[in-house]
Amino acid sequence: MSVRIDLDGVAFTYPDGTEALAGVDLTILPGERVAIVGQNGSGKSTLVRHMNGLLRPTGGRVLLDGRDTAGRHVADLARTVGLVFQNPDRQLFAGTARAEVAFGPRNLGVRGADLDASIDGALAAVGLEEAGATNPYDLGFSRRKLLALASILAMRTPVVILDEPTTGQDAGGVARVQSIVADLAGAGRTVLAISHDLHFVAGTFERVVVMRAGRIVLDGSPAEVFAAPNWETLASTYLEPPLAARVGDRLGLGGTPTEADLVAALGARGS
Amino acid sequence: MTVPGAAAPLALSGVRYQYAGTSAWALDGVDLTVEPGRILGVVGPNDAGKSTLALVASGLAPLAIGGRLEGSAALGGRETRELAAHEAAQRSGILFQNPSTQLSGTAHTVWEEVAFGPRNVGLGLGEIVERVEASLAALRIESLAPRDPARLSGGQAQLVALASVFALRPACLVLDEPTSQLDPEGTRLVGEAIRRLAGELGSAILVTEHKTALLARVADAAIALRGGTVVARGTVREVLEDPALIELGVDPPPAVRLRRALAAAEVDAGAARRTLDALAALDVKEAAG
Amino acid sequence: MEDALNEAASRVPDYVLRPVDGTYRRLNPTTKLVIAFSAALVAFGVRGWTGPLVVLAIVVATAAVTRIGRAMRPFVLATIPLIASILLVNTFLYPGAEDVLLRVGPFAATGTGLTEALQASLRVVAFALSVAVFSLTTPTDDLLVDLERRGVGRRGVFVIGSAIRTIPRMVERAGEIVEAQRARGLDTEGSPLRRIRGILPLAGPMILGAVTDVEERTVALEARAFSAPAQRTVIRPIPDSPAQRAVRWSAGLGAAGLVALGIAGILRFP
Repeated sequence: MSVRIDLDGVAFTYPDGTEALAGVDLTILPGERVAIVGQNGSGKSTLVRHMNGLLRPTGGRVLLDGRDTAGRHVADLARTVGLVFQNPDRQLFAGTARAEVAFGPRNLGVRGADLDASIDGALAAVGLEEAGATNPYDLGFSRRKLLALASILAMRTPVVILDEPTTGQDAGGVARVQSIVADLAGAGRTVLAISHDLHFVAGTFERVVVMRAGRIVLDGSPAEVFAAPNWETLASTYLEPPLAARVGDRLGLGGTPTEADLVAALGARGS
Repeated sequence: MTVPGAAAPLALSGVRYQYAGTSAWALDGVDLTVEPGRILGVVGPNDAGKSTLALVASGLAPLAIGGRLEGSAALGGRETRELAAHEAAQRSGILFQNPSTQLSGTAHTVWEEVAFGPRNVGLGLGEIVERVEASLAALRIESLAPRDPARLSGGQAQLVALASVFALRPACLVLDEPTSQLDPEGTRLVGEAIRRLAGELGSAILVTEHKTALLARVADAAIALRGGTVVARGTVREVLEDPALIELGVDPPPAVRLRRALAAAEVDAGAARRTLDALAALDVKEAAG
Repeated sequence: MEDALNEAASRVPDYVLRPVDGTYRRLNPTTKLVIAFSAALVAFGVRGWTGPLVVLAIVVATAAVTRIGRAMRPFVLATIPLIASILLVNTFLYPGAEDVLLRVGPFAATGTGLTEALQASLRVVAFALSVAVFSLTTPTDDLLVDLERRGVGRRGVFVIGSAIRTIPRMVERAGEIVEAQRARGLDTEGSPLRRIRGILPLAGPMILGAVTDVEERTVALEARAFSAPAQRTVIRPIPDSPAQRAVRWSAGLGAAGLVALGIAGILRFP
């Protein structure tokens, strides 16, 4: 159901000369759940914008299912790759939540019963089924963020990219995002997320890509990436490994990026 | 530093607040006090009233945004409703989440940005220079002084905004989700600055946050807010370890989650003991660092 | 205590004092403002080619002397949409013109229309450049202090000053909005008709964002004692002189006079 994404030596330099990506090679298989982490300025946002064509590489290629994205309009690529931005207020403009969610699928040519079904499904997925007639700006910030997410879910793209889905969210909102990621993955769709919240990352994604200065410096499962041998690299990107990983390391247990992993490792170890 | 019997920098008693043009009480009975050198953390789900509380605690509600305030909101003993906005600003300063909208937009250098407030109140040039230098030093951003405020990282911009608020020498500082838009490095910088301002310079600080781990590190006491009322209060440990926190919509800090996961899983006593020791050792390292 | 404060006053860093060089830059900010206004008045108020050409000549000369040539580019670029519509509308739709140059479908481009279009465009460019010269050679802060000293309300002045500096941020925000909507399938690369449909999804968040922005910034200003009744302390001394006052009055009156005489039909310019 989903597509394979290949970044082949992708480099990107802004018109003013700043090098944002320095030759990135990355393959994401259909249905993977990948988190991209790193400090601001490390190239995370630049990277994901290449996947739906908002940015075009100044070097290298971006392939979706083997097809080069070069020459394809963003409006066309948006059928395959959905990107939810960090600030919902940069996109909400309709009078009701339903109309807002309808915008994306309408642009893709969806109409009638299909459109209604897409909207209903998306609103239900984010827990806003009761708020269809509400003005988006009458919803609190958490729910506006979820509405922005719904507006991309309704487009039913094989790939969904989330830019900082949990900033400004309370615990309920974070839990909702986690269950949405799980549902998407369950349906075979690829999910990528940029996030500063390493606890959220460790518990929700099967693969973590760490970026620094336009390059990928670590790439693996949370257990691998947050293990002690990588702490120095992580420190160089000003990232701190999750507490569970640090406690696990002190106890001589490897690969325990979440509380659940740590508890399981303790149980397995016996006394 | 504290004169015995002096009024607290921030004291709210029975505070209720209604935004202009609405009929719901965004705050519905809040009591809290913050003394010099102390940091009070405020947690709660979105829409619980944390930002409203910040606006009331800084006097901006009602002085700058209108609305209806009931009860007593006192800054250094003076009720906010009896003050002008600029007087409140010199008693209680506020830092918002968005690094760029709170900068003046007219300063060419960080130095001038920090001087903005003191200039507005017409202080003498010598006094202004001293205050700017002191603020830059307090926030450890002397090296940023010649820089363009519009070209700083989020974390740096927050420190500059904090320095410029601090330059008005308010006894109380209110920070409303100050790290929400920052990366982990920016969050760390702001956390350190908060600790220093309270610990070394005696500011009374109120900080609302989702990042409970940050509060665990810097705050002394905490309150939990829901529906505009205080539903829990105590030391920061007490509040963050309260089992009811999760239902409230607040994520406890990793250390608390870990201890709970251990207890719930009924791990072997020896292993549990060693784990808690390891946790304690790491906590100590964090507190010292 | 006095001595300590006096000594402190001498510690204002050089990068804050920013002593300016160049005769034009050193002019009092209100003088520059009046000159810019007068130029704008002449550019639009005087009929014929003379008005805008003279203003353009003065502006270009000033730009050359103050070396702000390249920096004026964004201001010129900002006029392009307006000029494009002026050229189209006037060239093809000028009422009553008979001297047809060429036909495009049902529309006829006329010589009269084209002449009017070029002249109108010239006025717009002259105006934009005079605004540019003023804005690029006058630190907002200096203008604020000077106008405040003359009794203009702090708030009004501030709105103008920070509005200019807000432009880069608004441009940035516009970029973010466009990206977010394109990611939802809004077509900005297709036919013009499809692009027109994108106005509400782009304008909506822009306007809402601008309004929220103003609200947030106003509140943030209050938090920094912006509405204190005191006179704002001067950090960089701003000079003025009787000669400059004379320049302001003569520029203002002269421009107004030219326009009035032109309207009354007493003076005619080519």
